[in-house]
Parts: sequence; C-alpha cells; structure tokens
Amino acid sequence: MNTEFTELLRPFLKFAGPEEITEDARLRDLGLDSMREIELLFAIEETFGVAVPDDKLVDSTFATAGGLWGVVEELRTPVGGGSR
Amino acid sequence: MPEPRATPTPAGEHAAPVGAALSGVDPTDPGAVWRALGAAGIIEALYPDGVQPDPRRLSALLTELDAGCPLGVTLSVCVQVATVLPLLAGATGPAERARRGMLRGETVVALAVTDAAGSGSDLLDATTRVKLGDDGAVLDGGKDWITNATSCDAALVLARHREARHFTSFCWVLAPADAPGVTVGSAGRAFAGSGVGHLRFAGVALPPDAVLGRPGRALAGFARQVGVERVAGALWARAMCHRMLAGLRDWLRRRPAGAGTLWDRPAVRERYARCLVATHQLDALCAPLLDAPAAVPSAVTGMLLKVSAAETVDRVAAEAVRLRGADAFRDGGEAQLRTEAAMFGIAGGATGAMLAGIADHADELAGAVT
Ligand SMILES: Cc1cc2nc3c(=O)[nH]c(=O)nc-3n(C[C@H](O)[C@H](O)[C@H](O)COP(=O)(O)OP(=O)(O)OC[C@H]3O[C@@H](n4cnc5c(N)ncnc54)[C@H](O)[C@@H]3O)c2cc1C
Repeated sequence: MNTEFTELLRPFLKFAGPEEITEDARLRDLGLDSMREIELLFAIEETFGVAVPDDKLVDSTFATAGGLWGVVEELRTPVGGGSR
Repeated sequence: MPEPRATPTPAGEHAAPVGAALSGVDPTDPGAVWRALGAAGIIEALYPDGVQPDPRRLSALLTELDAGCPLGVTLSVCVQVATVLPLLAGATGPAERARRGMLRGETVVALAVTDAAGSGSDLLDATTRVKLGDDGAVLDGGKDWITNATSCDAALVLARHREARHFTSFCWVLAPADAPGVTVGSAGRAFAGSGVGHLRFAGVALPPDAVLGRPGRALAGFARQVGVERVAGALWARAMCHRMLAGLRDWLRRRPAGAGTLWDRPAVRERYARCLVATHQLDALCAPLLDAPAAVPSAVTGMLLKVSAAETVDRVAAEAVRLRGADAFRDGGEAQLRTEAAMFGIAGGATGAMLAGIADHADELAGAVT
C-alpha cells in the first residue's frame, strides 16, 4: 500500500492511532463506520482520480485496508500497463 | 471587516422575480406556489450548471418564501429544489419526464428516505426493499414523515436491493403515487402545506426504468445531496431569524412600558442583542457558501451548518416568544412557528446524529488555526 493511501485512510479510522496500518487490518475494527465509509469512497475517488465501478461497490471492497488498496490500484493501472 | 447587514445578503436581483411570480398566488396553497414558481422559470433558473442549485438564487427563493408562506409550504419547495431535482439530474425515462415536469412546476416528487422500520439517523437499518428483475422491479415497505407525501405525483424512494448492512446495498426507485400498492396516510395537522405523510408500498410493480442511477451508489449520492439540503436549511433558517428579529424589534419599539417602550429596557435589549449575535454567527457560516458556484458542501460543513441553523432558530424563536409575551400566541405567531421550527433540528438530520458525525472530524476541526 502506498503512503498516500494509508495517510488518506488514517483520519477515517478512529481507533487506528499512530500505529502502522497493515494490509490485513480490518477497517471496521479500526473504527470505520458506514457513513464515514461514504466519505472515504469520495476521498479515494477524488485523490486517485478513479471511479469505483458497480461490481466493486459491495461491502467486501471495504473490509480490509489491503483489499481496498487492491481495488484502487487496479483502477489506477492502465489496461496492459504497470502501476502509475 | 465588512459592515454587518440588516438583512440576508442576496435579496435584490434574484428576489424580485420570485416576488413577482408569487404575487396574487395563495401563499398557503403549496401546489399553487410550486406552479407559479415553475411557470415563471424560477425553478429552472436555480440550476445554472443543470444539476446543483446556485446558492444565491436558492437563498433568495427561500427568503421570499419564508417571508410570505407558512413554514410547511416553504418546506415543500425546499426539499424538491435542494434534494429531489439534483438527484434526478442525468436520469432518463420516467425520472427525466418527472424532472422536466418539476422544473415547470407541474409535477411534485417526494423524497422518501426515512424508513418506517428504523431510525432516520441510521439509514442502514431501512427495510424498504426492491426486488430487481429483468422485466422490472417490485417495491415493498414504508417511509414515514415524508414531505409532499400527500400531494406528490411520484416518490423517489431509497430502497434496499441487497441484504448486507452496508451503504452499497441501496438504490433509487421512482414510484408513481397512483401505482397499485402505493398508499399514503396523513402525519397529522402539524406543518400545514407541507403534505407531510407516511407512504406504504405493497408489492408495487414498476418498469425497469423506474430504477435510477447506478445501484449501490444511491446512499452515497444521498449523503452528498443532503449536504445541499443542509445548506438550503441554513439559508432558510437565517432568513427566518432575520424576519423574526425585525418583527420583534418593531414590536418592542411600539410596546408601551413605563414612560417609554420595552425597547428602552436594558435587560430586554441585551436579550435581543444575544439573538443578533447568534444570527450573525449563522450568517458568517453561510457567507462563504453564498460565493461558491454551487451549494455542495463537504460532509462536515453540512453537519456544522445543520446544527448551527437548528440552534440559532431555536434560540431566536424561544426569545421571541418570551419577549412578546401573550402576543406570541396569536394565530401564526412565534409560539406556533417555534414548535414547527423545531424541525430544523430533526428533518434531514437530527442534531444528536449530526454532533456524533462532527465529533468524528475532531482532528481536522480542532487542529491548527490557519
Ligand atoms: C417536518 C418533517 C419533514 C420531513 N421530511 C422528510 C422527507 O421529505 N423525506 C424523508 O426521507 N424524511 C423526512 N423527514 C424525516 C427526518 O429526516 C427524520 O425525522 C430525521 O432523519 C431523524 O430521524 P428520526 O425522526 O427517526 O429520529 P432518530 O434518528 O430516531 O433520532 C431520535 C433522537 O436520537 C438522537 N440520535 C440519533 N442518532 C444519534 C447518535 N448517533 N448520537 C446521538 N444522538 C442520536 C437524535 O438527535 C434524536 O434526538 C421529515 C421529518 C420532519 C419532522
């Protein structure tokens, strides 16, 4: 996960404190509630210039930090190219 | 520092056409008011970008309505212009037809979000469901305390299409009020002119194009749009506070007391002045929004505005009732207005829930002063 992503994530996680946010960190356990999840979706789309597609708009996308980053990274990657 | 103004900023330019459109119209008839606004092109002109209302025009509209119409009638217009019309923008089929009708003032669409089954502050508990199929959708459930419910042509309904307790489990459905299975009950006598009522949906069969936008995005879209409703509420609240304070000042100046009037009493003036301070704090919160190209605030700004508007209206209305004494209980007086204006702390986001949301932003709000 890149630092920009984890730093964007941190203010949404009221129980995360200054600890490192790991890939398998469960976002709910770190204090992400549903209404803030919506704000997080908008923040991600704005910061990374992506639009989360319908098939990824499901609860499992927001389960772990690594899972969510995986979706963002996939959306940022041009077809047939590497990560920007 | 700019001079404080006696009345909300936007008046003039945008207010005059609203006043002209409403001249001769029965201000207690929400249908007549809506039709007049539509026919004069006021509703369409609110959206220079085609989607979101221009804050100054919105403020002028709500200020004029507040000055002339009962609270319920202003509420009926407010929900439609701040929330329903922007949510329908970009739609096709029946939703686009409804939107065009709304812009002309010929169609009324209710916003049906608050679920009969759960708390309005936690929409994830909503049980109103839509079953999506290839040949259409079937809607079941109920929505309570819906403005325009008793007068609408259709309702824009937030419905669950997936079971997961998650914001992605909801979509929008446009349900015609006369579709078989749709019933409406009154919510009582409060908020006259708002058409507030309870909607029930029992196996309502709808065509595929009754489902709007991208399923899974509805609650996120609503969360963003409710911010605009909160801006509208704050602009309306300040208009109401200025109106109450102007009326109160004039009344206090006329009210005999001893050798002079109540206005001469320092204790009365101080209580009045505290209301001025609160109202000007609300004005200051609203000022940057009026200069924005569109009325879309951040989530936390929307919540701050909502709480501030509710508390300011409550404070001013309470003091207006106390200072006017028995006169506050005349028909349409401050006592009645205060009861109905308590909705600023409930409709579109209850103060307790707003404060919980604001606390989540403590780091950013309590951070360094810039
Ligand atoms: C005049 C009027 C018009 C309305 N029009 C519409 C409409 O057009 N469309 C629509 O969908 N809905 C409408 N509503 C419904 C309105 O949006 C809801 O009433 C509102 O969201 C609050 O929900 P509730 O009434 O279920 O109260 P609840 O959510 O049950 O709240 C009850 C109390 O608990 C407190 N509370 C709730 N959550 C928290 C928390 N997390 N922390 C601390 N305290 C909390 C609240 O502050 C409140 O004091 C309208 C309501 C009114 C009064």
